[in-house]
Amino acid sequence: MKSVTEAPRRDGDVNTQGDLLFSCSGVSVALPHTLGERKVLDDISFDVRHGEVFTIVGPSGTGKTTLLRVLGGLTRATTGSVRINGRELTGPPEEVVIVFQDYSHALLQWRTVARNVALGLERREDADEIKRRVGDALRLVKLEKNADDYPWQLSGGMQQRVQIARALAVRPSVLLMDEPFAALDAMTKASLQDELLGVRDQTGTSIVFVTHDIEEAVYLGDRIAVITGSPGRITHTFDIDLRKPRDQVATRQMPAFLEFRYAVHQAIGSNAYG
Amino acid sequence: MLMAREATIARFNFPGLLTIVVCAVIWELLVRGGVIQYAYFPAPSAIGVGLSELIASAAFWADVAHTLLAVLVGWLIAGVIGIALGVLMGMSPSVRNYLLASVEALRPMPGIAFVPVALLLFGFSLNTELVVIVLPALWPVVINTMGGIAGVHQRLFEVGATFRLPRARIVSKILIPAALPSILVGLRLSLTLSLVLAIVAEMVGNPTGLGYAVVRDQQALRPAQMFADVIFIGILGIVLNQLLVQMTSLLFPAATRALRTA
Repeated sequence: MKSVTEAPRRDGDVNTQGDLLFSCSGVSVALPHTLGERKVLDDISFDVRHGEVFTIVGPSGTGKTTLLRVLGGLTRATTGSVRINGRELTGPPEEVVIVFQDYSHALLQWRTVARNVALGLERREDADEIKRRVGDALRLVKLEKNADDYPWQLSGGMQQRVQIARALAVRPSVLLMDEPFAALDAMTKASLQDELLGVRDQTGTSIVFVTHDIEEAVYLGDRIAVITGSPGRITHTFDIDLRKPRDQVATRQMPAFLEFRYAVHQAIGSNAYG
Repeated sequence: MLMAREATIARFNFPGLLTIVVCAVIWELLVRGGVIQYAYFPAPSAIGVGLSELIASAAFWADVAHTLLAVLVGWLIAGVIGIALGVLMGMSPSVRNYLLASVEALRPMPGIAFVPVALLLFGFSLNTELVVIVLPALWPVVINTMGGIAGVHQRLFEVGATFRLPRARIVSKILIPAALPSILVGLRLSLTLSLVLAIVAEMVGNPTGLGYAVVRDQQALRPAQMFADVIFIGILGIVLNQLLVQMTSLLFPAATRALRTA
């Protein structure tokens, strides 16, 4: 991914002092279940900073998706507080868009790629602005040639890029991504990971990325939260200070990468059944 | 354009047409050869002559116009009410709880049974026909729309929510388009039903239109014309259905594709 390696680094934009994007404290979620309620998340506290890629990794059934839905305003926290840019979250906030794992359900199959990408802009921007933004978003994910195709004419990886473009078109300050590459093959996954980092470098969009793939979490993340157990708790966080831009071959061979991978693995393993 | 025409020719069902032609020839031979002997059972050739007489008469086209008006108005009313009701019932489980029992009770009622009621209320009028058409033609639209809306994947609601689309826009831009293939199935069933009901209503209720033309030619002992009326009604049904199919594939290419692959 050339564009990634050539993209300018903007570490200086990342403000590590205050100025938090998300701030969660003591968040618990109980969801309705066959018999009463079941606690899915317990006492979750963490912050997400502007401009960073924050990955949440853990085994299935630990409430990762629920946590992402809480950040996206689709699910309410039962207790605790979730703040975005200092405001208490009450519903889907305007600076946030969720990218779902199941792109085939999340795309409007009856609309062309361009019209899918325009979904969040319609009635909010004028026609010229919509056209410009749709074009920009499609260029970011390298789908400008497929603007007039229908989703069912595209491969899985391309459909997921449509979903990412649709999210980027509304210029969110943060993308919430729920295992977006889990259904894709290894090669497509690797190229989309690099594209995503490229998009972050070009747009400055923050990313909260949920995955059960430890390597993916380390490769993409500036910071990692490990979530385990049922109800899920955040047991560890790691600052991933690997050199940027990251590279599918070089980064993954670095001793530091392997150490992080080992450490996250241990963090999950020691708590997975706890 | 040329390719589209070639595709149409290639799609045309020549073996199907051949069956019809062979049956008509056998019918003709049976009547001419005296194998079938009824006073008022004409051969296809006589029906053909009757049809050509009908087509030449202005009164016949007035009948056609009246029946078409009744069918289209009735179908449109059934479509609008049916889609609205179906969307509400599909979206809200509580609306469904309140209404579904009533729908299931009303649905099996034969539309013709409403003729005497409608006649009492509206006399010999288009309104009588519309009552007989709309009540039964409503249900295919309601049931299919409800099923289509209720079957829309939960994820699409969440997509609407994450882009903070207003509720009305989620309905018009996401729900209804997603359910469109089912809605179109309901509308097609309803259109065919509307024609049948209009003919019946004209036979036993409002004495105008093509339905009454069949009765009139029967009472005037003109079997060739009577058969010609019936055949024309059949052709009308095919044409209406095809028009709807062609229109939907022009207006909603994606939904039509979903119908074909469903």
